[in-house]
Amino acid sequence: MPTIKDYSNNFENKWCPGCGNFGILQAMKKAFVAQDLSPHELLIISGIGQAGKTPHFLECNFMHTLHGRALAVASGAKFANHELNVVVNSGDGDCYGEGGNHFIHAIRRNLDLTLLVHNNQIYGLTKGQASPTTEEEMITSIQSHGVLNRPMRPLAVALSLGAGFVARGFSGQPEELSQLIQAGMDYKGFSLIDILQPCVSFNHLNTAAWYKERIVDVTSLEHDTQDRQAALQLAMEWDERIPTGILFQQDEDDFTTRNPWLQQGPMLHREYKPEKIKNYIDGLYE
Amino acid sequence: MAIDLTVKIGGEAGQGIQTVGDLLCRVCRQAGYFFLAINDHESRVRGGHNFLQLRISDSPVLAPARQVDLLVDLDGVTCEQHEDELKDNGLILCRPEQHPERDGVLAVDFTQLAEKAGDKATENTVAAAVCLALLGAGEKLCRKVVGEHFEGRDDDLKAINLKAVEGGFNSIKESDFKGWNLAWEEQQPKGALLNGAKTLALGAVAAGCRVGAFYPMSPATGIMAQLVQLAEHFPMVVEQAEDELAAVNMVTGSNFAGCRALTATSGGGFALMTEGMGLAAITETPLVIINAQRPGPATGLPTRTGQGDLLFTLHASQDEFPRFVLAPSTVADCFDTMQRAFHLADTYQVPVVLLVDHYLVSTSMLVSEKLEISPDAAPKAPPEPLSDPATYERFALTENGISPRLFPCQSQALVKATGNEHTPDGHLSEGRQNRNAMVEKRLTKLPAMKEEQRPPLLYHEEAEWLLVSWGSSYGMVREAVEILRQQEFDIGMVHLVDMWPLPQEPLQGILSQHKWLLVEQNATGQLGWMLRAEIGVEPQGSIFQYDGRPLEVERLVKQAAARIGG
Repeated sequence: MPTIKDYSNNFENKWCPGCGNFGILQAMKKAFVAQDLSPHELLIISGIGQAGKTPHFLECNFMHTLHGRALAVASGAKFANHELNVVVNSGDGDCYGEGGNHFIHAIRRNLDLTLLVHNNQIYGLTKGQASPTTEEEMITSIQSHGVLNRPMRPLAVALSLGAGFVARGFSGQPEELSQLIQAGMDYKGFSLIDILQPCVSFNHLNTAAWYKERIVDVTSLEHDTQDRQAALQLAMEWDERIPTGILFQQDEDDFTTRNPWLQQGPMLHREYKPEKIKNYIDGLYE
Repeated sequence: MAIDLTVKIGGEAGQGIQTVGDLLCRVCRQAGYFFLAINDHESRVRGGHNFLQLRISDSPVLAPARQVDLLVDLDGVTCEQHEDELKDNGLILCRPEQHPERDGVLAVDFTQLAEKAGDKATENTVAAAVCLALLGAGEKLCRKVVGEHFEGRDDDLKAINLKAVEGGFNSIKESDFKGWNLAWEEQQPKGALLNGAKTLALGAVAAGCRVGAFYPMSPATGIMAQLVQLAEHFPMVVEQAEDELAAVNMVTGSNFAGCRALTATSGGGFALMTEGMGLAAITETPLVIINAQRPGPATGLPTRTGQGDLLFTLHASQDEFPRFVLAPSTVADCFDTMQRAFHLADTYQVPVVLLVDHYLVSTSMLVSEKLEISPDAAPKAPPEPLSDPATYERFALTENGISPRLFPCQSQALVKATGNEHTPDGHLSEGRQNRNAMVEKRLTKLPAMKEEQRPPLLYHEEAEWLLVSWGSSYGMVREAVEILRQQEFDIGMVHLVDMWPLPQEPLQGILSQHKWLLVEQNATGQLGWMLRAEIGVEPQGSIFQYDGRPLEVERLVKQAAARIGG
């Protein structure tokens, strides 16, 4: 059995003290151990930003990629070897801004991977500019007269694209978040977990207390997690209360199931057969 | 007498001139002829003026010819636009309403014959049959090829098309025009009917490519379409990505996970891929990109050809890292170069860009040389598992700069990589000494990479004058040299196929001792810039063509003769 210790390393962590990322990191480790996964059985692909640095603070296989492109790299890894356990760490700017197009189409593609979006409603690494989820009118160093653009509701976007697993967690509840991550990893297909987290340095509006006042566990509501329309309504809720937990879950054929070649096993393990190619080429000369 | 005939068929997009060309190529092949067909089309789905130009010969064909023997007008404007290309004894084939029949003009009612066959859409089959009848081909051979084309698809369609063939042939029987009396006996074909898109895709399969990811863009789409067809026979995932940013990063992900993967695009898409190319470079993940060039900037001329991306490719992506840039010379060479690209990307863990172009990708021809699978084509197995997996470092500093590459989750050893500068174990680092060590590690690969490069192709390199060219212009330049030599010019050629690292030594030896003219399909002489910068040589003159059309042999001959003779 792997332990939390197996996932810990000595690499210097430069996140700000009190950062929501610590709760997410803790929840991830718990989830991996609960999944009975050893570090060498896990591949993390991450984007750029404070969230993108997450795999450096874990013992596992990883590729810390480019701003916005983590899902594309992760998709390619899954094409090559769909048996890989792939978790993607991204942020609100990385995934919903720079990587917005990949976010949309990764949902449609439905590869079996789990996307964790560290959503602190602000750009941290570049020091406090508005992200796609920053509240309207919030004043930042760049949006000095307040944010003029409407905030994105990522869970609603995912649901409208037919996502089969849509959840929201909170970094201040690592135990619940760990359960969500496990459920996402168990789900055969693309799973989105948007994770609310405070940014102690740059977001003084959406603080831990602000989130705590608003979040409500979806299991305490009369909600059918197979009802996409009802989930969409919950996904659009924000100012008064913010539903957390699994908003929607439904089994669907994933990319691998729909591809006849992949049904025979991962591409990585396909034998190289030059004689078969030679025969094909010979046929062109007949 | 040697046979060398050119047929030009002009029509609107959607009229099926592609089908006419395809049928003609197949019949030529069955009759043991050599041929080369180019497509010239506008960037539109319907209407406009497009043409297909087919050169038929009894010896290998290197380039398209300008002078036309048979001009087929399906759209009513082909004659006006191309009559000056018609040879003195050439023939025009058109519809009755277009031109009154006179000497050298034969009018055939394609529409009526197609309708008689049962479907107006078979106009193209009628036109193909009339062309073949004029060239002296037998109806039997033509029927056989059409029959094979529709075999197992739709019996009614096959019957209608066979009737269209019959109608086409009969229409000529009543005509006085005798046409060309070529020998059209069915023979053992002298090679395979291939285009660059197909040989590139075949090369990828031969190299064990298992993943293709792309975003549609002319003229690269044909390569991926061929890959999709091959994926019916060989295990492969071919995915249409949401954009070129995704495509390049998908193939990097596949390579990281241990599978060979390919993406193909054109200049605009390649511009987007430059970001991802940097990720592959710093994570030392093999990456193979085909850039099928078209004239730019921006959208430029989407369906036309050029060689304007050489310097862009050489410098694509920020900062410095080693890369290969390869530019195959012919349809057959695309197969070899594609296999080499995968082998080199894997061996040196660097990006490899293949520079092809619209001309090379879309030109169909009889390839007589056999496509041989290289012994180097097989994907490399990862190194043996380590006795102590905890000591594994993905970016271990080594003498040749190449570190053992393991695949994630395939052993106990952890594979860690990042697009940030990193320590040997793959963790990000801003350390000064480490930065220097890593830059040097990556660049240490260059001398060995240079050793891999094929020397330029030479033809009469002892001559007083040389034409210096690269990539897909090989056939045209070679033919121009032959014509110039027949005109008693003392001229040869030096043709580059491996562009970067530049094979300096062989080039320096030759170019510093001869007079030479630069031949490129761009406006500023990008190869010339490289030669000046790398080996300090200057040409005596330059011939540039940048109109988006295939390099014209006649024009090349004229300009070279003027420069040398003067």
